Amino acid sequence: MELAKIETLLEAYFEGNTTLQEETQLQAFFASADVPTHLEPYAPLFVGLKISRDEQLVKPLVLPKTNNRSNFWKWSIAATIAVILGVFGFLYFQDDGLTKEQQEALMAYNKAKEAMLLLSENLNKGASKITYIQAFEEGTSTLGLVNQFTETKNQFFK
Amino acid sequence: MLELTIMKQSEFLTTVLPFKDKLYRLAKRLLVSSEEAEDAVQEVFLKLWKGRDRMETYKNPEAFAMTMTKNYCLDRLKSKQASNLKIVHSNYQHSDNLQRKVELQDGVDLVFQIMDQLPEKQRMVLQLRDVEQFEFYEISEMLDLNETAIRVNLSRARKTIREELIKKYNYGIS
Repeated sequence: MELAKIETLLEAYFEGNTTLQEETQLQAFFASADVPTHLEPYAPLFVGLKISRDEQLVKPLVLPKTNNRSNFWKWSIAATIAVILGVFGFLYFQDDGLTKEQQEALMAYNKAKEAMLLLSENLNKGASKITYIQAFEEGTSTLGLVNQFTETKNQFFK
Repeated sequence: MLELTIMKQSEFLTTVLPFKDKLYRLAKRLLVSSEEAEDAVQEVFLKLWKGRDRMETYKNPEAFAMTMTKNYCLDRLKSKQASNLKIVHSNYQHSDNLQRKVELQDGVDLVFQIMDQLPEKQRMVLQLRDVEQFEFYEISEMLDLNETAIRVNLSRARKTIREELIKKYNYGIS
């Protein structure tokens, strides 16, 4: 291909106005051995593009297992949930299987427990008041110490 | 019943494997690191695999996969910027020092370096046109850009590389 044509193509290339076919012509030209000196600076561009094009993904891609496998998992999860629900359901209904007499006994027991709790709570309140009194007594005894101090002081200044 | 409409693995692979390298090269152009590009392609493949029953309805699975890769990589870049992570080059040290750039012996290395420093849009357009040799209408579909915008970005990218190459050349002979 004559040089003038290459130069025209090159100008159009940098303006973004070349077709794929024309770009292939440019690439072929710059891949050849006889590139004139004044066009040499452009060669690395076309060589670099060619090198980029040949690069490949080396690392193998991993895909998940096939459908049957994933269905197996879905079913096993569903089965596990069903078993858990079954066990809970069984326990729950067992609880409700108390006779009327047993239920009444349970209620009576709960009421008694409540009453006992109330009682013990009030008892505790009473006990805390006792500690207040103890604190008061401590206070009065320190007052006695102060009295002693004034006594000795008075003796000193006599 | 549903199983019948879902793509089989072998069918999926024959559709998707032919363009795995293109996805990888686009991812690498954007993310720069080969490891990150490999991860990106793997992620895109899993997404495609999950949506494989829909894939038969796409008129161009390749363009669809390219768009997916582009979106994935741009998201990655965005989250990197958000966490203030510096993008570290795998092949060569970045330096704003012009002197160093000019001193690069290999012109091809310089081309790669400039390509990886271009704005994202220019990088993608250059990659899809000059490396992968897609037609403008295909790139338009992949990047959701009109043809004029593609040509403008392409021209800017090519001119930036030309300027740097000429600078290097002039420095070499002076």
